[in-house]
Amino acid sequence: MEATLLDPRMFRIVAAAMALAAFVGLNALVLVYLERKIAGHVQRRPGPFEVGPHGLLQPLADALKLIGKQLFRPAGADALLFWMAPVVSFIPVLPLFLPIPFDPDLVAMHVEPGLLLILAFTGINVLALCMAGWGSNNKWSLLGASRAVAQSVAYEIPLLMALLAVTFMHGSLNLSEIVEAQGAWPWQWNAFIQPVAFIVYFTCAVAETNRAPFDLPEAESELTAGFHTEYSGMGFGLFFLAEYANMIVVCAVATALFLGGWQGPFFSGWWWFLAKTYALLMVIIWFRWTYPRVRFDQLLNINWKWLLPLSMVNLMVTALVMKLF
Amino acid sequence: MEILARLVFGFYAALIVSGALMAVVERGLVRSLVGLIATMFGVAGLYMLMAAPFVAFMQILIYVGGVSILIFFSIMLTKARPTGDEAKGRPLRKRFNALVTALAAGVVLASVILKFPIPSLETPRQVSGQQLGEGLLGPYLLPFELISVVLFVAMAAAVALAWQQWGKSK
Repeated sequence: MEATLLDPRMFRIVAAAMALAAFVGLNALVLVYLERKIAGHVQRRPGPFEVGPHGLLQPLADALKLIGKQLFRPAGADALLFWMAPVVSFIPVLPLFLPIPFDPDLVAMHVEPGLLLILAFTGINVLALCMAGWGSNNKWSLLGASRAVAQSVAYEIPLLMALLAVTFMHGSLNLSEIVEAQGAWPWQWNAFIQPVAFIVYFTCAVAETNRAPFDLPEAESELTAGFHTEYSGMGFGLFFLAEYANMIVVCAVATALFLGGWQGPFFSGWWWFLAKTYALLMVIIWFRWTYPRVRFDQLLNINWKWLLPLSMVNLMVTALVMKLF
Repeated sequence: MEILARLVFGFYAALIVSGALMAVVERGLVRSLVGLIATMFGVAGLYMLMAAPFVAFMQILIYVGGVSILIFFSIMLTKARPTGDEAKGRPLRKRFNALVTALAAGVVLASVILKFPIPSLETPRQVSGQQLGEGLLGPYLLPFELISVVLFVAMAAAVALAWQQWGKSK
């Protein structure tokens, strides 16, 4: 097997990376619009309305504003850590999308342990938050970073265990295989067979992406803006993009593992995948504008006293049922 | 492809060495940690190059996403200032000693490996996750279980220590 730089596989990887980068950027625009519109309607106001019809061009205006702003670094901040943090936060986003199967054929890269790749690279985001918090030379940032660490270390465990229960059932870490093992109808989906795992996973996913009601690392009312207090312009923009991209990834994983992926009762295809992913994204946005932020001790109590035991019991029952029946 | 593989190997090796240097030379604890993380990434890349994606992802999941974050946590708890003790310059004699010690280990190991190359495959063989699992629960069951015992002891000890501290503070 001779392979050069002009190899079709090489070409495929480059094309996939470009397509994914475009996908991430476009989705961020769509999600910003959705977020602001939903927030508006939840609070009985129309949301953005001025730029374009129904405010459709508002995210573009936001993006241009962010790009145009000057980048500041506070005095006494560690320049290396400060500028590295947004980049470290954004770079792992692209590999995250590689193994996600939008369609049987629409996969950027067939990675055998695809789920493991996603779990490995999502963990890097916390590191970026820590670097931002430490490098900013600001107490709010540092407090935000320390919260981010405690939160993500805690919530990663039940998240992994919930996913482990599903991979137990299918004996595979490959997302495409798990999607294919589920049927087209909702009662054949893993969310129906493993409801506890689904609920635990989704709760932990909201917490891992630092979304309200678990957005303690940036809690505006307590910490100004938490870890990104000192970032302006695209420094903040990259954190923001990474957060939205991570939201899409956790929802896409939930779709593939629990909601039957691209399979639907009729016309199976990537549109089902996108529809399900967006339904979950809407639920996350809906959470944000419905629930008040939890207190920090409540946050940790929910995890260590409820989610962790629940996911452990679920895992053991799954293993037992798998072996006995 | 071989040239590409060599290039990638060179890149990862450079990443590992520069990360390690940064971990040793930098003044601030957090910067040292960043160097350490770069090294861990480089090692994960080398695993990838050896066609062991499972081990590579585990390396990132456990070391980059787990261990380094815990180190970060402990640095925050120690209130390490960038102007603390470790930020002071060291005398030349100590630097020289450190260099000699590091080089000695490196030279000895490298010369042994160059003289007696480890027999290995020409191109790495892909091992599926299933084979890996069967290996761990088959021929390597004892070491696998021993590791879990070690981890359990560490965890129980941590809980016991925290318990003592908690009792004192009450």
